[in-house]
Amino acid sequence: MTVHELRTRPADSKRGDASDGGALAGQVGGRLSRVDGPAKITGAAKYAVEQQLDGLSHAVLVESTIAAGRVRSIDTAAAQAAPGVLKVLTPDNALRLNTATDWLGTPPPDVPYCPLARDITFSGQHVAAVVAESFEQAVAAAALVKVSYDEAPVIADLSDAKAGDGIPVDAMTKEWGDAEAAFAAAPVRICAAYNTPREYQAPMEPHGLIAQWQGDQLTVWEPSQWLDGMARTYAEWFGVPFENVRLVSPYIGGGFGSKAFAYGYGAVAAMAAKMLGRPVKLAVTRPQTFTAYGGRAATRQTVALGANAEGQIQSIVHRGVNETSVDGMWVEPLGSVTSIMYATPNFSSRQNVVRVNSVVPGALRAPGENPSAFGIECAIDELAYEVGIDPLEIRLRNYAEQDPEAKKPWSTRQLREAFAAGAEAFGWSKRSPEPRSMRDGNQLIGWGVAAGTYPVRRAYGEAVVRILADGSVEVESSSIDMGQGTYTILAQTAAETLGVPADNVVVKLGDSRYARAGVTGGSRLAGVMTGAVHKAATAALDQLVGLAISDPRSPFHALQPNTLVVTEGRISSPRGDGPDVPIAELLGSVGRDRIEAKGDTMPANSTPEERYKNYTTIAMALPHTEGDYSRHSWCAHFIEVRVDEDFGTVRVSRVVSALDSGRLYNPKLAESQWKGGIIMGIGQALLEEGIVDRRHGRIVNNNLADYLIATNADIPDIEVISVGIPDPHSSALGGKGVGELGIVGVAPAIANAVFHATGMRVRDLPITLEKLI
Amino acid sequence: MTSRTSIHLTINGHDHELEVEPRVTLLDALRDHLGLTGTKKGCDQGQCGACTVHVDGQRVLACLTLAAQAQGRSITTIEGLAEQDGTLHAVQAAFLEQDAFQCGYCTPGQIMSAVACIREGHAGSDDEIREYMAGNLCRCGAYPHIVAAVRQAAMEAAS
Repeated sequence: MTVHELRTRPADSKRGDASDGGALAGQVGGRLSRVDGPAKITGAAKYAVEQQLDGLSHAVLVESTIAAGRVRSIDTAAAQAAPGVLKVLTPDNALRLNTATDWLGTPPPDVPYCPLARDITFSGQHVAAVVAESFEQAVAAAALVKVSYDEAPVIADLSDAKAGDGIPVDAMTKEWGDAEAAFAAAPVRICAAYNTPREYQAPMEPHGLIAQWQGDQLTVWEPSQWLDGMARTYAEWFGVPFENVRLVSPYIGGGFGSKAFAYGYGAVAAMAAKMLGRPVKLAVTRPQTFTAYGGRAATRQTVALGANAEGQIQSIVHRGVNETSVDGMWVEPLGSVTSIMYATPNFSSRQNVVRVNSVVPGALRAPGENPSAFGIECAIDELAYEVGIDPLEIRLRNYAEQDPEAKKPWSTRQLREAFAAGAEAFGWSKRSPEPRSMRDGNQLIGWGVAAGTYPVRRAYGEAVVRILADGSVEVESSSIDMGQGTYTILAQTAAETLGVPADNVVVKLGDSRYARAGVTGGSRLAGVMTGAVHKAATAALDQLVGLAISDPRSPFHALQPNTLVVTEGRISSPRGDGPDVPIAELLGSVGRDRIEAKGDTMPANSTPEERYKNYTTIAMALPHTEGDYSRHSWCAHFIEVRVDEDFGTVRVSRVVSALDSGRLYNPKLAESQWKGGIIMGIGQALLEEGIVDRRHGRIVNNNLADYLIATNADIPDIEVISVGIPDPHSSALGGKGVGELGIVGVAPAIANAVFHATGMRVRDLPITLEKLI
Repeated sequence: MTSRTSIHLTINGHDHELEVEPRVTLLDALRDHLGLTGTKKGCDQGQCGACTVHVDGQRVLACLTLAAQAQGRSITTIEGLAEQDGTLHAVQAAFLEQDAFQCGYCTPGQIMSAVACIREGHAGSDDEIREYMAGNLCRCGAYPHIVAAVRQAAMEAAS
């Protein structure tokens, strides 16, 4: 199912980018087209819930229509009697499940878990489910379930008077110097509040799963950013060994942070499958994707900057708040960029979380860094105007030569280069500094700049590399490809390491039976997995060369190991004076049908428990400031907007971004991810906002026509420039994160451009026309 | 409702007989009853374009079309776009070359829209392509590459 019989076309054999000195397409750093592409453009790629199973039944969720209170009763009679109905699940007849370990590895409390709620803490909570022979029957019967409630007062959102100031999160406090006093004494002071609304991942593939039990073995076909983590959750819920749960996720139709965990609906489907003894499919509807799991929490920040007359920052005082749910905890780290982007002798950042009647919020592209950058990158723009210097110049004057918080040198920081390359390509020097000074007819033109960053999240990984009898190569890992290009870059890594053409490599991902893998999130996968595949492939190559030299049947018998090379799938002596044979021929002559090597980057003495913990929690992730360096990727966005003077409509007309993600494993695919982040950032800046009905605590625009994401017509040409250099401290092959980085800094660059165009400073996202007229 | 109706569908040049409830959409008929899962369900309410197919050559949202409505008409899905020998349609080839997708979930709908967009004569400029492809959402943000792919395929079609 995950095998791609792909052959590299000659047109793809272009050279890679300059940072790799022009790598061939099939090598690391080359512009190989994505190897899973043909399956995706022909409709052959079967996503998780598209498996066709005999006896499949269909589950549909019933959700709470109130946001706070208690279920008084559920009348299931009409639904039970509806045609085709197999089961109506409520808290009264649900199986008793265990609470599972969380993603941080926190041992769970010894209390039962029920994915169907009696106590209601948010609108859209699962309260019942109907399983029927057909999808249509389940939908119709679910509408017949009558739920009555005892309602309680609702805390709708952060601005609700009942919400209060929230709970301090001490772990988020960062302080050095005396920030309050230095701010009070600074000759130039600015202070403003910056707000971001609820935002949603909205991947094009809605969530869902097919669950099937065979005895005490559970198979779950579910789009997943973390097969082993989710398998652990299912295993613990149902009290079966981890090895009994198989997660299958060959392709993922977008995740953006939302598909890393097993959620309540998964427990419902797996429970129904167990009770009915047949496979159950549960497809979360598009409206349900707004409440079946959490989007980005709404945030509020105040940023106070004290500076001297030259615009050099003396103090930063930052206070943040994000919403969380009534009974869950989500911290969106709002001081993460604030504390590292600029040098300052005095700093203070603190954060609270406020409980509201919402589903527990979750990760959305660059959680923390994204809203954090909106605050500090708008604030420094305001400071630039306050002291009367160019917004790009003020960033250079406050350039942090080392990590101001960790007090460690950067591993690599090509941000100065990003500013220079971006400004040059954009034509920043032609900018007229005054707001409202550039126009084209009715359109006010504004140019804005902002920087972005994302930490390098590192973890241990493993992979299996197999050289088969025909000389082809297999790579196996339970990591996944949701569009970042994992299939492709791992083929390139194995090909380069082994010396075989990339089109002779088949990469198998997305099945928890393969070598284990941690979460795909926080832009860590590429660095982790290229390192693991490189290690496994090196071990396989060593075996191959060892065999060639040691086996008496080999034509290379008794040669020295370092005298053999493998290129283009052939083994030879580099001096060109010996035999030159294909790998398949060598394996045949020594009577081997395969060579297999497992490589992992765990410390050598790791115990099985540590390995399990490494792949099923994030407890063993390596801090980005571990050791001697502080590791981050960096970027600078230069954006032009056109604002209609009469109507206040904002259009982004030009984007140039220069980005430092270290070495790029495949520039063609990395550029696509960067642009994707920038485009999501344009939507965030101008369109995206979960609108809360204040009376009922309900998201009213829970669909793709009312929750606006950017369409093709909203997006101009986008130029991305790689300014990265290989970073040996960040990953085995020198790359830093790609996927999260691109969005960070886009919204503030647009807000800053809107100010330049109009003279109006909008500090609440999204920047909609009513805020400008 | 348990009554079933017999429907005859012509999909990618092949005839199919289906016994389904009258309320079954064309999208669910394709995906769940015929195993043609290349056509994607992104919203099931006509908002995202992932389920775009051609009915008698026109782009249609399969989630807003009952299977019964398509009876007697010629349906083309993403599975029927390439040649019998596997040669890719020019739009498919352009999508691969331009990297006009990432996760791939909106891609079949994008490609079906793009083929029609070119055939309708609405691929004359980048702005026109953006406008006439705006009904197909892509959350990965492949839009500039989609425009490049449609432009490339349109130019190949014209030459």
